[in-house]
Amino acid sequence: MTTISTEATATPAPPAPRETNTAESSGLGRFNPLRLLNGGFLLLWGVLTTFPLLWAMMTSFKTNNEILTSPWELPSSLNWDNFARAWTQANIGRYFLNSVIVVGGSLILTMLLGAMAAYVLARYEFPGNRIVYYAFVGGMTFPVFLALVPLFFVVDNLGSVPVLGPFITLNSYGGLILVYTAYSLPFTVFFLSAFFRSLPTAIAEAALLDGCSHFRLFFQVMMPMARPGLVSIGLFNFLGQWNQYLLPVVLMPDEDKRVLSQGLAALAVSQGYRGDWAALFAGLTIAMLPVLIVYLIFQRQIQAGLTAGALK
Amino acid sequence: MATVTYDKATRIYSGTTRPAVNALDLEIGDGEFLVLVGPSGCGKSTSLRMLAGLEDVDSGRILIDGRDVSHLPPKARDIAMVFQNYALYPHMTVYDNMAFALKLRKVPKSEIDRRVKEAAAMLQLEEYLNRKPKALSGGQRQRVAMGRAIVREPQVFLMDEPLSNLDAKLRVQTRSQIATLQARLGITTVYVTHDQVEAMTMGHRVAVLLDGELQQVDTPRALYDRPANVFVAGFIGSPAMNIKTVALTDDGAQLGSLLVKLTREQVAAAGTGDNRQVSVGFRPEDIDVVSASEGGLPLVVELVEDLGSDANVYGHANINGVEERFVVRTTGRNLPHMGETIYIRPKPGHYHVFHAGTGKRLD
Repeated sequence: MTTISTEATATPAPPAPRETNTAESSGLGRFNPLRLLNGGFLLLWGVLTTFPLLWAMMTSFKTNNEILTSPWELPSSLNWDNFARAWTQANIGRYFLNSVIVVGGSLILTMLLGAMAAYVLARYEFPGNRIVYYAFVGGMTFPVFLALVPLFFVVDNLGSVPVLGPFITLNSYGGLILVYTAYSLPFTVFFLSAFFRSLPTAIAEAALLDGCSHFRLFFQVMMPMARPGLVSIGLFNFLGQWNQYLLPVVLMPDEDKRVLSQGLAALAVSQGYRGDWAALFAGLTIAMLPVLIVYLIFQRQIQAGLTAGALK
Repeated sequence: MATVTYDKATRIYSGTTRPAVNALDLEIGDGEFLVLVGPSGCGKSTSLRMLAGLEDVDSGRILIDGRDVSHLPPKARDIAMVFQNYALYPHMTVYDNMAFALKLRKVPKSEIDRRVKEAAAMLQLEEYLNRKPKALSGGQRQRVAMGRAIVREPQVFLMDEPLSNLDAKLRVQTRSQIATLQARLGITTVYVTHDQVEAMTMGHRVAVLLDGELQQVDTPRALYDRPANVFVAGFIGSPAMNIKTVALTDDGAQLGSLLVKLTREQVAAAGTGDNRQVSVGFRPEDIDVVSASEGGLPLVVELVEDLGSDANVYGHANINGVEERFVVRTTGRNLPHMGETIYIRPKPGHYHVFHAGTGKRLD
């Protein structure tokens, strides 16, 4: 019934289809140099970014001989033992676990502290609010190289803290977690406070009237509403911390405690006399996979988080 | 079930000197539906938010059921509020939105379920209980916001322009629903609006505010029939009252060729402060259209709004050399045309007289 009636109303109105026709011809059908340039540029960009990734993954299945003699060809067979070798002999497994522990801990701490600080700075007025905020923002401008040496001594000295000392000094997971957290907080606070500021005030007021305490308001009402922002900044921090190299090199010299990026670097350095290229690429693939997986899962929320500010 | 008392309650926003609400004195009875009305920026929302605990009370007190709540946090006041944009929790279902406050109060699950279901039935929301607010229409969201307030069974309902985001038809419909619901529940309600029609149709009493000052609080009928000053007279009623400031004579007000007779007391009161002028007002429906021979004021018609049952005639008349605009409500038959001259005369005894300087009503 409904389809018939819509057809009936559609037929006596010829101008509408004609309009869509012209729109189509001006959009897709007609040759448009700018559009071609755009498309061509995007294609080029896509190839440039994905090609090295795909090449590294492809190479991780080859034998060492194949890599050196025919680098551009597909592997003759899938050499899964490259991965086994990287995981066990090159200690990538151990380093992977270290990375997971450190990044997991620091990510939880960064998000928790960052969200709480950003929320208070964005939504509560108190003397000194702006000073604290700009101190965080100022932290973003601070180059990490400048801090390396003092940071080394600070973390070293943390070892003399009673009871907690051994857990937060050099070569400890705790020490690196604290440093990662401190290093990630400025941008996290900057980003999230802008996000919290854009959330409607009336909802917070409604929650207060409903009987929320300030803590409950934050955890049960404001945090869920800020989810897109939390996901995008969380992912940003995850990428940054997972790929962090300089800080662990300085603060985690112990071979057992190395994180993945250090391990890969060590593997690359040792290539000079061992020459296990296949294991190196397998290790690289192992290191990339978590990032890719996380990105694929949260892709839509990242986009939502990045555009949310623009829509409000 | 409670009374609400504003006792010289004052709010001064930081960085300003003029109070947003100045020494507001207001008594709201148990079960009463009181409407705060006024133009934007008059302090009506601020007054409501002071009662809610969302704004500080800088001086004076606010009492709920005799208990001083001026400096208590919102959650200690046992009030529920409906916001203009509804302020529903976007990540919770309709059910959870309504149940949230009860969960915080540790009400037993079965009791929560009973109350939410009951409110949902009252507001025809049963089939939407599992939806998120995003998937609801404006009217449905408005009802959820009402439901969230109802399940609380609070001492006082606060409503901050809850209908202003609805379309005209739904607004009229919801208006009567809210009034009926309030009458059924018998919970003291303070309702803020800028729409004087809403104020007149819903409130048991209406408080008119301007620039943070309470102008008058009375029943809608009394506000309409006996406005306390020029502002209330002009604000209440649509189309607005014709208020003209004219010369004061010994017998009354000289409205062009017409003499509006005033009592001796009114003339005396209008003359206080060496005043030689007086403001007189007539409702559009209190003006008769008469023939030229009956001695009316000649009015050149500019615009005729035909509303079917009656019509509003807008025009201008020359009063002591000044072109003054008038609006007259007439029956819908035999309407004048644009540019035509008609003769008008206020109905005797239906004048409102105000002091030209202070704007106060003179009786």
